[in-house]
Amino acid sequence: MTAALANRVARDGSRIVAPAVCLGCGCACDDIEVVVRAGRIAEARHACPLGAAWFGDGRVPARALTRGRETTADVAIVAAAEMLAAARRPLVYLAPDLSCEAQREAVALADVLRAVVDSVTGSTAIDVLLAAQEHGRAGATLGEVRNRADVLLYWAVDPAARYPRYPTRYAPEPAGLAVPRGRRSRTVIAVDVGDARGPVDADARVAVAPADEVAVLTALRVLAGEEAALRGADGPEGTAWSAARQLAPSLRAARYLAIVHDAEPREAPEGTAGDVARDPERAGALAALSLALNAVTRCALSTLRAGGNRSGADAVLTSQTGYPAAVDFARGYPRYTPYDGAAARFARGAVDAVLVLGDAGGVPAHVTVTLGIDVRGATAARGRPSVPCAVVGPRASERAPADAVAAIDTGVAGIHDGGTAFRMDDVPLPLRPSMDGWPGRPPEAHATIRALLACVAGLVRVRDATSSARRARERPAAVP
Amino acid sequence: MYDPANGVDGEVRDVCVSDGRIVADVPSTARVIDARGMIVMPGGVDIHSHVASRSVNLARRLLPEEHDRDPASAPDLAAFDLGALPRSGSGGTVPSTFTTGYRYAGLGYTTVFDAAVAPIAARASHAEFDDTPIVDGGFFVLMGNDDYLLRLIDAGEREHAREYAAWLLGATGGYAIKLVNPGGIELWKRGARERTELDTPVGSTRVTPRTILETLVGAAEALGLPHPAHVHCNNLGVPGNVAMTLDSMRAVAGRRAHFTHLQFHAYGHAPDGGWRSGARELIEYVNAHPEVSGDVGQVMFGDATTLTADAPVEYLLHRSSGRKWVNHDIELETGCGVVPHTYRERAAVAALQWAVGLELFLLAADPWRVVLSTDHPNGGSFLSYPALIRLLMDRTYRDEQLRRVNDRLLAGSALADGLAREYTLGEIAIITRAGPARLLGLRDKGHLGVGADADVTVFARDADIERMFATPRTVVKGGAVVVEEGQLRRAPAGRRLHVRPAYDAAVERDLRRYFAQYATVSLDNYPVRGLRDAPAPTRRSSGAPARERG
Repeated sequence: MTAALANRVARDGSRIVAPAVCLGCGCACDDIEVVVRAGRIAEARHACPLGAAWFGDGRVPARALTRGRETTADVAIVAAAEMLAAARRPLVYLAPDLSCEAQREAVALADVLRAVVDSVTGSTAIDVLLAAQEHGRAGATLGEVRNRADVLLYWAVDPAARYPRYPTRYAPEPAGLAVPRGRRSRTVIAVDVGDARGPVDADARVAVAPADEVAVLTALRVLAGEEAALRGADGPEGTAWSAARQLAPSLRAARYLAIVHDAEPREAPEGTAGDVARDPERAGALAALSLALNAVTRCALSTLRAGGNRSGADAVLTSQTGYPAAVDFARGYPRYTPYDGAAARFARGAVDAVLVLGDAGGVPAHVTVTLGIDVRGATAARGRPSVPCAVVGPRASERAPADAVAAIDTGVAGIHDGGTAFRMDDVPLPLRPSMDGWPGRPPEAHATIRALLACVAGLVRVRDATSSARRARERPAAVP
Repeated sequence: MYDPANGVDGEVRDVCVSDGRIVADVPSTARVIDARGMIVMPGGVDIHSHVASRSVNLARRLLPEEHDRDPASAPDLAAFDLGALPRSGSGGTVPSTFTTGYRYAGLGYTTVFDAAVAPIAARASHAEFDDTPIVDGGFFVLMGNDDYLLRLIDAGEREHAREYAAWLLGATGGYAIKLVNPGGIELWKRGARERTELDTPVGSTRVTPRTILETLVGAAEALGLPHPAHVHCNNLGVPGNVAMTLDSMRAVAGRRAHFTHLQFHAYGHAPDGGWRSGARELIEYVNAHPEVSGDVGQVMFGDATTLTADAPVEYLLHRSSGRKWVNHDIELETGCGVVPHTYRERAAVAALQWAVGLELFLLAADPWRVVLSTDHPNGGSFLSYPALIRLLMDRTYRDEQLRRVNDRLLAGSALADGLAREYTLGEIAIITRAGPARLLGLRDKGHLGVGADADVTVFARDADIERMFATPRTVVKGGAVVVEEGQLRRAPAGRRLHVRPAYDAAVERDLRRYFAQYATVSLDNYPVRGLRDAPAPTRRSSGAPARERG
């Protein structure tokens, strides 16, 4: 319905769907004009290269497979449901490109199955969430950064690389309420941490050795609160303190400071196995600094997140379970296991069936290898136990291992499927699919997961009734 | 039966239910629930709570340690229904969505309003309500610091402001206009730390808490909304703030307005500049002004989570308590702050807050206008309502509690001087059911007359008032028996309560320019669409369907 409202038909017969939301990265730009011509996306106007690649031509497979053989979606759903209901420790993994509506069904599925449910967040941005749970955090929606931030501190990130339109849609380029001259109203400070460099056109830059990073953040927190430490010439010595002294005055002078940092893993984990090196101390130091600076000015952390509605998965898991990722339903209620997420459990053989929901191609490489769903076609990676697996989501038939119990292609949220997705700052946006009416489209992810849930709920009910009947038979008769 | 809206105060009656409504009679074959000797009331109506919003979800996310301590297994429902699968969750002061619905229903509450939703995140509130079973839900839309609205006030365009408010209610699927610290959140975003007075300029002398209040109270009235403007005054939690609260009430004297969590706004100045109770001054004004209504926002001892759009208050609380703090500025609209908090009997300020709330209840002349809330989870969880009811109904118990608390700031407190009043069951039915329903303009709720929604609570009479109210024997929601023999057995979806007043289309033309310049979301992607339930009537919407835009 939403798509129909905004559709226009151009003179050449192409259809324009606007303003559509792009989920190519967490910016979730919602000004895209998608041009559909001859059953393909011909153009995604206003989209950056990342966004254009995400939209592609809108053509995705619409197949359903069981153990590599072509079948119907209904048959594959039953196969996946039987696999899950027979498992003792199933894992439900939320990959990108699902709508919040589909994610809600997915969490219901995990609850009914008493499964572990985790998302991409569990192996990427979890440190940032844990830090916020320990300290709290000072944040803002991106529109506040756009309208108010007169000083921007880019901490080891240049958004132009992985969040290409951040500079033009949010900061520093746009003019805003308190920054009427846009870029000229703002001071941009880059902190380069080793190879992780800030924006090239920064007004000032400070280099920090990776080993000093947390120390600099901690020193800044002290300097932010203590004017005396700034003035004193005989304060603590060392490279970290000297970098912090360079930065502190500009931060304190800000009317509204935005600290931009990337919650996604810093180095691309291509081809690496195991967990990405985490740095919970860095995340904690950033959260604590953002809070401390509010004693002397206004400050907000702007946390960058990648695409495919990752923040939506965090929000849905939180609202339904109380926890944003890595939730274990084994005891019949949710438990938070942030240090024992999907990858860790799989690696130690604590999982006996895997259901990947969403686009497995968007799962970090190190996790796909661990889970045995390597998108490059390798099935169970060397030395891993072979665990039955099903994939339901966009391009599942291409992503799933050849021996997957089920692979069911679905639409991509925002291209074929409607619903809601969250921007990286947790602003919920309505998706406006452009290829929803394409005759070759796969079924909606939401409806498919719901059908799987129905099937699983029925099987689990029978299973539990059978096992309780067996227990009753085996129990000695009660004496009245 | 206690059905105060229909003048029934403890009479033996039958309640007939058919097709989700109260009816005059039913066939003899109808199922009978034997409630002989029990107490029957309408389903509870919570006029001010925080259960379904992005801010609530930020609070949930902040509190894994609370959830760990209070796991919630899925209920044992009577029938298999894919549309209402039993769901597990977690509790604490900010429970997960499904658990929130189950627990409210388990307390006999069937209608709940979330009191603070930022328009830009309204669709997240609808999604959370969709996952909060049983209760009918709605929310109030934050407008008191809305940049576009403030511009209109600055330009002297109050009629345009009213049309914008109408548009915003429809665009968000909200139920009422909410003001939180009018102007004060915008000042916080600009870096101000000072307290706000009624005539403090917000960027312009024409924009002040007073003019914002006048504009939005007037808008709610002119639009004929079922609920008047719902006002959270400036300077919450600050000693001496009762003067500001009274000034705010006087500023809109003679016009309907609902002032929320009065307790947090009823502190006087002691001679040394510290705290004292301002409850008597405040309630005397409320008693004398029938156009004013309020809910109390009682503080209960134990764990709470302060969670509010009033971000500067949370900054102060974080600075004083040292507990973890979330601040989230929300573009062009409002703010958000979260700080966990514990009210301790031995803490002088907490004891004063507790006493002030009780004084407001016990000195209120008209229970229809001063109704029950804890501002869940700010003053305490909704699960503490039964304990609060006991405090109101049982003077002996209350006096025992009073002897235990720190009395350092209680000099001059009416409670310390001795308040003998004990609420009757009929009065409890008013402050938890009939009163809030009437204040919310919910004609079919809060009573058991023919035509009302079949939302009914049955309590087994018990000398332990708290236990009685905590464990209803039977709860009927929309005709479905959701609690049987004290067990939750059904969990149908609740309805959404919202309004969609008509508005002048010129609003959108101007808004489109404004959005292009300042917003980060397209105007076309801003409104929530496709709500299943029909909007509640407003004077504006009678005969004139709200305009849909595309």
